[in-house]
Amino acid sequence: MMRFAKKFDRRILLRGLFQGSSVAVAVPFLDCMLDTNGQAFAATGKKIPHRFGTYFWGCGLTKQLYLPKSAGQDWELTPQLASLKPFKSKFNLVSGMRVPLDDNPNFQHWSGNAAILTGIAPTQANSFDAPTLDQTIGDAIGRGTRFKSIEVACSGIKSESFSSLGGKNMNPPETSPMALYKKLFGAGFQDPQRPDWKPDPQVMVQQSVLSTVAEDRNRLMGEVGANDRARLEQYFTSVRQAEQQIQAELQRPEIVAKVDIPTDPGEMPVSKAVPTLQRVVPLIAKLVAIGLATDQTRVFNVALSESASTIFMPGDSKPFHQTTHEEAIDPVLQYQLTTSKFSTYSVEMFASLLKELDSVPEGDGTLLDHMLLLGYTDVSFAKIHALDGIPMILVGGANGRMKGGHHIDGRGDPVSRVGLTIQQALGMPAANWGKFSLTTNKPISEILV
Amino acid sequence: MRRTLVAVGCLCLGLSAGWSTFASAADRHMVQLRRMNEQEYRRSIADIFGPQISFAGMFEPDLRIDGLNSTSTTVLSITPSGFSALSAVADTIAAQVVNEKNRAKLIACKPKSDKDADHACASQVIAQYGELLYRRPLKPEEVAAKTKLADDLAKSKGNFYEGLRYGLASLLQAPDFLFRIEFAVRDGKEYTLDPLSRASRLSYLLWNTAPDAELLRAAQSGELGTQGGVAKQVDRMMASPRLESGVRAFFSDMLQLDTFDNVTKDTLIYPKWASSVAEGAKEDTLRTVVDITLRSNGDVRDIMTTPKSFINRKLAAVYGIPFDFSGEWMPYQFPAESGRVGILTRISMLSMFSHPGRSSPTKRGVAVMDIFLCEPTPQPPANVDFSVVEDTSGPLKTVRERLNVHATNPTCASCHNHSDPIGLPLEEFDSLGMHRTTENGQPIDVSGDLMGKKFNGAPGLGQALHDNPRFPACLARKLYAYGVGANTEDVKPATFKASYDAFVKDGYRLKTLIKTLANSPEFFRAPAPSKAAPAPTKTASNN
Repeated sequence: MMRFAKKFDRRILLRGLFQGSSVAVAVPFLDCMLDTNGQAFAATGKKIPHRFGTYFWGCGLTKQLYLPKSAGQDWELTPQLASLKPFKSKFNLVSGMRVPLDDNPNFQHWSGNAAILTGIAPTQANSFDAPTLDQTIGDAIGRGTRFKSIEVACSGIKSESFSSLGGKNMNPPETSPMALYKKLFGAGFQDPQRPDWKPDPQVMVQQSVLSTVAEDRNRLMGEVGANDRARLEQYFTSVRQAEQQIQAELQRPEIVAKVDIPTDPGEMPVSKAVPTLQRVVPLIAKLVAIGLATDQTRVFNVALSESASTIFMPGDSKPFHQTTHEEAIDPVLQYQLTTSKFSTYSVEMFASLLKELDSVPEGDGTLLDHMLLLGYTDVSFAKIHALDGIPMILVGGANGRMKGGHHIDGRGDPVSRVGLTIQQALGMPAANWGKFSLTTNKPISEILV
Repeated sequence: MRRTLVAVGCLCLGLSAGWSTFASAADRHMVQLRRMNEQEYRRSIADIFGPQISFAGMFEPDLRIDGLNSTSTTVLSITPSGFSALSAVADTIAAQVVNEKNRAKLIACKPKSDKDADHACASQVIAQYGELLYRRPLKPEEVAAKTKLADDLAKSKGNFYEGLRYGLASLLQAPDFLFRIEFAVRDGKEYTLDPLSRASRLSYLLWNTAPDAELLRAAQSGELGTQGGVAKQVDRMMASPRLESGVRAFFSDMLQLDTFDNVTKDTLIYPKWASSVAEGAKEDTLRTVVDITLRSNGDVRDIMTTPKSFINRKLAAVYGIPFDFSGEWMPYQFPAESGRVGILTRISMLSMFSHPGRSSPTKRGVAVMDIFLCEPTPQPPANVDFSVVEDTSGPLKTVRERLNVHATNPTCASCHNHSDPIGLPLEEFDSLGMHRTTENGQPIDVSGDLMGKKFNGAPGLGQALHDNPRFPACLARKLYAYGVGANTEDVKPATFKASYDAFVKDGYRLKTLIKTLANSPEFFRAPAPSKAAPAPTKTASNN
């Protein structure tokens, strides 16, 4: 790839091409507009980093209501995806991909989730056989930010996170808008837009404390038994990450967006009741968006619910998961009516996340154009825990590396193609991804630029 | 507190001799790391620095494995966000320990000047608190490293106490504090925990907190390496009021009371629900258990049949009984006609194992089998049609009628035939635990069956569990698993047989079970060093 001067600006290119005449053109995104790490430049010449996020909801969608009739670029938005209409040109729907389990059982509400995030059919329930995609990506794109990743459990469950360095240890989520606010914008945060930004001297002190803690590593690693080695290693990895986080606090983040720093949302009810979630999710979305725009983190994971989702409608005695199993299939409609409503709510709340991300102007577009977001679920048809055709939604322009507006019919390909596509779009040198039958070297090339 | 500190200060002087005895033993090896949970952390801090130290922060959640959260302490580690949070908590605690309000009480020496480093004083404080936090004396080079940090920062900040604060903060986020690290030594042909690891295991089982100075002394003198020495310390610990913390922690785990953290009720259906109800319900259950097992030193099986309870104003509203009591917790005896017999009939167990808007005999039955009988239920098969269970508009009005459909499907029947007849007798209590006699207009049939024994209603269920020998055996098994951090299912009967026999012989008194378990060699038994353990590399000089 050619190396251009860092100040290269595509508006200059356009002016050169059209002699300044105001012609509306679709701006092509060329590799030469990225630096060697695949980062885009805004009009100001500042770099816009890659960002990645996931949005998880449990218990799938309703095939009869979400699956479009045709694939490719020319497809009609379906009723269950109606809330995504404003973003149709910015997202790709992936249907029809499979989770081959090889010799592993179908761990209900786990196998699909874990396979999508690790490219490996899990060998145990509630345990990842490898680090999750967001963590691998965080290592590649998250350097120099305060948080390698941010996890949020919208319904407030402390253990509800699908982000992990592997094993049963999940990265613990923030469980309320207030907790998320405190993490991103509470102690330790300085608005990078302020002219009087300066590193907090306390940060240097914490750094020396942590390096003393890290000194214990050699002594303990020499003594630890084989069983606990990985656990101790994880502890010291966490210490190192805390050191890196502090290192990041010494540097003023270079940001492109101009944003208002949110105020503390305060205490509010957080629960699995759908109306409560409908209030909470947009607040979480706003905080995440500003957290990304101010470069506090480049990776986030938002979980609407646990895998066997227990979100519920007040007054109706049965939550989502139980409904999927117990509700009869309507003989006329050919689907489960109440179940389908829960799925639709789950998509609507995804749309409210996208709305916030797309409303932050940044450089020549919005935050959403400079990131990649995977919306996914754990099953295709929850009633029978089916794993064939789990719907996945890829949103965002990835700094010009991903096209939108496609419906990809996966035709039984392994779901790991999505993870591979994401890594390649984010400029990571992944030629193949996944294990056993989930191994793939085929990204979804139709949507990669 | 000051007296404790002085005692610890004295201990430190003798530390190098005591420590090196264990450290240099060629056969000494690390057995396991146990991540401290939030309650252990909080109790340890309160006992080491005093209850005036306050802090809030995110603690990583535990994970229930084979019925116990404590098992996950040997499986989980500390994630980056978890560590960041603990790091912040460490600093909050350390700042309070050295602040002007607390320093006179908590810092046993005075620096030559408040504005400069004082190596001797900092080193003394680091050694004192290091020993209590690490549950072992610090090695001289460890004291030196942490003291150097304190000295350097005292100089750069021109403040002795600021420097000391960071020295203490580094102890509070060290792996040796955040994990209980257990070591074993050779014991004839087998391996057993070394005395300091025994001190920790005893302390967290009996008191749910860090070993106190006396226990550490007994470890370092070698007394805890002998049966007599263990017996003496166990007697002392059994007599302490701290035993209640240990018993509460065990039952919180065994009864899965943390399930409440994730329980939401539909307030349209249950307007009386609030998270304060959950807190109260947990407390009621723990008070009831402590009353029977510790205060009355009674038969632990009576928790299944007791009419006695402790209620506060919130619970009284749900139970529908008048609350005329000036204190917070009113001892209350349920009348026979209430059907509230044993802890299964209280709000806690009834509402934890229900759906947000309706009761679930299956959830309740599965929970009873898992918690009290050590019989976990496998996941249902993936591809099952439950539609008929759902349809209340059809001819099947009660959940019993609907669940009976399972019996027609052999795959379902194999589990539901065990769990449902345990849950169905509790059907006269709804999802919140309120009493009812009809469901969708039909009278509720509360006949039940526990492993072939037929009975009627909640009192029948309580009595059947009380009389079932699997219940006390399961309790003994879980106490052992809880104490050593093992998987309940993997525990071999021989490891807790002696304590179980004594427990049965003495009329199922919990204190007897705890005491005999804590005194048994099996409680400290450790595996041989793992063959795959890497040889110590360049770290040899640190050992």
